[in-house]
Amino acid sequence: MNASKHDHRAEPVTVRFAFTPAAAYVRAARLVAADVASHAGVATGLLDEVRQAVGEACTRAILRHRDSEIDDLVRIEFSIGDRFVAKITDNARDMRAQTRDRLAPSTRRGDARPSDHDTLEEETLSEEITLIVLGGLVEDLVVTGPDSEKGTTVSMSWPLPGGAQSGEH
Amino acid sequence: MKGSSSDGTPEPELGLSLSTVGAYSVISVTGEIDMYTAPKLREAVRQLSAEGRMRVAIDLTPTEFCDSTGLGVLIGARRRLTDAGGALVVVCANPRIRKLLDLTGLDKVLDVREAVPSE
Repeated sequence: MNASKHDHRAEPVTVRFAFTPAAAYVRAARLVAADVASHAGVATGLLDEVRQAVGEACTRAILRHRDSEIDDLVRIEFSIGDRFVAKITDNARDMRAQTRDRLAPSTRRGDARPSDHDTLEEETLSEEITLIVLGGLVEDLVVTGPDSEKGTTVSMSWPLPGGAQSGEH
Repeated sequence: MKGSSSDGTPEPELGLSLSTVGAYSVISVTGEIDMYTAPKLREAVRQLSAEGRMRVAIDLTPTEFCDSTGLGVLIGARRRLTDAGGALVVVCANPRIRKLLDLTGLDKVLDVREAVPSE
């Protein structure tokens, strides 16, 4: 086992933040992701993948918040243990599991979903494409939720040098 | 074409330059296409079709980054242009973006080429 050589990783290092679900902040999230991953020791060749995947997950979270007409923050957590783990959590609960009690349009922000038909169609497509991209890009991908209480969490991980190999499928 | 916010920090900018190659109006895209910048590309295609320029090539070779929102714009642009009797060509010699087109299967849906068709 390599664990004894890497005791400094015994307690995972964590970077956690949240952002208002607006398109303008997706870039910041993906740049932070690539930077934290680089600092953690993720192979240089995988950094583009981390950047793309975190961006896609954040885009998906924003689209889900727009669909549910909520302004809750999108939450991101990176942890550095045996692997580099990124978790992106939205707060769009399963609307079918509760009453369709939506916020009044007047409470929505300026970044609200456009009403243009073509744009709506493209955004619906994008939401589907995010998962296709994530599925094709990330080897270790788990999407949990939503249920009536919580939204979804996209969990992804990438290997770190000297880390446990068990996480690699 | 880099912009800056009121406090002077650079903003991510999508650079679009227009040219004509043969029958095609070419939109060459630099910078990053994501949820924030994609509307600018969508609008550029709309502007061309509003001017009756229905054969459009979007050149992603110089593009630094493209996410699923950008792919959504490409699909929407293809549909609008073909519905109007035109055509969309996606020019992409950029391996990162080619990979994205391949893994989504869009390389088979979109007319993806290494260069703008000259005829």
